[in-house]
Amino acid sequence: MINPQYRQRAIQLREELSDDYFILWIWDEALGAAGSPGQFYEIRALASLANLQAVQAIPKLFKPVSIYDNQGGRIGFMIKKVGAGTNALSRLRAGDTLELIGPCGNGFPLTRSKRVLLLSGGIGYPPLWYLQKELINHNQIYWMHGGASQGDIFPCDEIWTEDGSIGRKGRVCDQLQETLVKQEIDIVYSCGPEGLLRAATAVTTEMKIEHYCSMEAYMACGIGVCHGCAVPIGTPQDWTYRRVCKEGPVFNADSIRWELL
Amino acid sequence: MNDIWRNSRHAGHLLKSRLGKLELSTPLTVASGTFDLENFEFFDPACLGAFVCKTITKEPKKGNPPPRLFETEAGLINSIGLQNPGLDVFINEKLPQYRDKLSMPLIVSFSGSTIAEFCAMLESLERCEGIAGYEINVSCPNVENEGIAFGIDPDVVFALTRELAAITNRELCVKLSPNVTDIARIAQAVEAGGASSIALINSLWGMAIDYRTGCSRIKKGVGGYTGNGIKPVALALTYKVSQAVKLPILAMGGIYDWQDALEFIWAGASAIAVGTANFVNPLAAPELIMGLGEFLLTQNKAVRDLVGKVQI
Repeated sequence: MINPQYRQRAIQLREELSDDYFILWIWDEALGAAGSPGQFYEIRALASLANLQAVQAIPKLFKPVSIYDNQGGRIGFMIKKVGAGTNALSRLRAGDTLELIGPCGNGFPLTRSKRVLLLSGGIGYPPLWYLQKELINHNQIYWMHGGASQGDIFPCDEIWTEDGSIGRKGRVCDQLQETLVKQEIDIVYSCGPEGLLRAATAVTTEMKIEHYCSMEAYMACGIGVCHGCAVPIGTPQDWTYRRVCKEGPVFNADSIRWELL
Repeated sequence: MNDIWRNSRHAGHLLKSRLGKLELSTPLTVASGTFDLENFEFFDPACLGAFVCKTITKEPKKGNPPPRLFETEAGLINSIGLQNPGLDVFINEKLPQYRDKLSMPLIVSFSGSTIAEFCAMLESLERCEGIAGYEINVSCPNVENEGIAFGIDPDVVFALTRELAAITNRELCVKLSPNVTDIARIAQAVEAGGASSIALINSLWGMAIDYRTGCSRIKKGVGGYTGNGIKPVALALTYKVSQAVKLPILAMGGIYDWQDALEFIWAGASAIAVGTANFVNPLAAPELIMGLGEFLLTQNKAVRDLVGKVQI
């Protein structure tokens, strides 16, 4: 573990996945050695303040993006175009410069000799890709992934789409209980839209299955300073706001006070 | 990169400034709640003339429900609600870290819900070593019964300042809200009450709504608006206050770079702070001091030569 660092790194490679999804690869051995699955970086397309004034643009916040892959110093960020910040990132090409703050937050607790369910929706996929690489030699993994349509689907064991364009039609949580029983799941790792995480937690809590969620939040600093990315964590009687960027982004699903979100 | 400001070290004597009782090695500090020890991973702390910590309250505060942030066309809306661990945890856990790690004066920002509570907090802090001064937060827009309830009434500000000034010989800086009818009257009340400097501005009221759904972007509806969008407002209020009082001013509000800093210095600020800029550019502080130092060298002027010398 190291504290988040600030770096500017050239993009080594840009990989197209579909109309909306792409991967930016950078190279940094020291940062690569420090990262773990579930951690994230605050990233942004580099533009110096001098350049920004020249083009009359206004400097914007960094965007939190989880680590998609991290091997021997090669770090990948899988990104979906959703707003202005990710659209700016989508204009980057190999050779352009990325600004990074990270690695930020705490990753997933790793496990051994378990039957693991990975559960992801849409752009919740990337951190679980990195996680499965760390888990695969020591566990049995079953991965369910869902999205709005086939453009949101990536390699996994069970596919769900809301429009039925590929895989099963419906939401990835629709038959979660049956899958947990059938696959004899011991532990669940999830990442995706809040509705998915909330629905999954209701099932795993009921079945008393260990479950870790990676949460998303609007962020300013990414390093625990501004307290902007708060989520309520604790028991119904005794909870407090924890920072997604510092104590998270991974939380025990039972400890998240979904009723307050 | 981490020590770019050192390139302008030979401008050191020109960068010196003074905020009330504090000698500052540079006029730059950080806005409360936007900066902490974590940021020193990014650059050499020596570019800061003082360090202002996040506002503390007597009891721990949970803060406001999320979402707490939204980035606007120009600047940021926040609704943190003064989340903090409370005075006791601050004194026992946070303050020792600051004593160990900070090489510049520490200014402790705090807020209370009654004059008696402000005074009790100050008495506790007075017993602690390693504190150079206080920033009295009477201007947080995000809490209902603390801060801003005080900052809008000149008579209350005067009474509070007078009580606090009687307790401490350390730097006493009162932070004002822009969300008032006449900030000059409040500044005069601070001066009459015996404070040694004034900080301004705290955040403006701000709001953003998702135009498709009609949902507020901030859970509590209205939050505090900061960043480059508020710079002209902050600059005007700095100028107005500098015309109304003799107290030195620590100015902030949309300062992102050295050019912004100079505008505030011309308008009357003896010291300036970067806040939202820390989120947008992790190297905002060292880059600002480097640019300011080079400008001063070129002009062969010191910060103190420029303070309040705006030409109208």
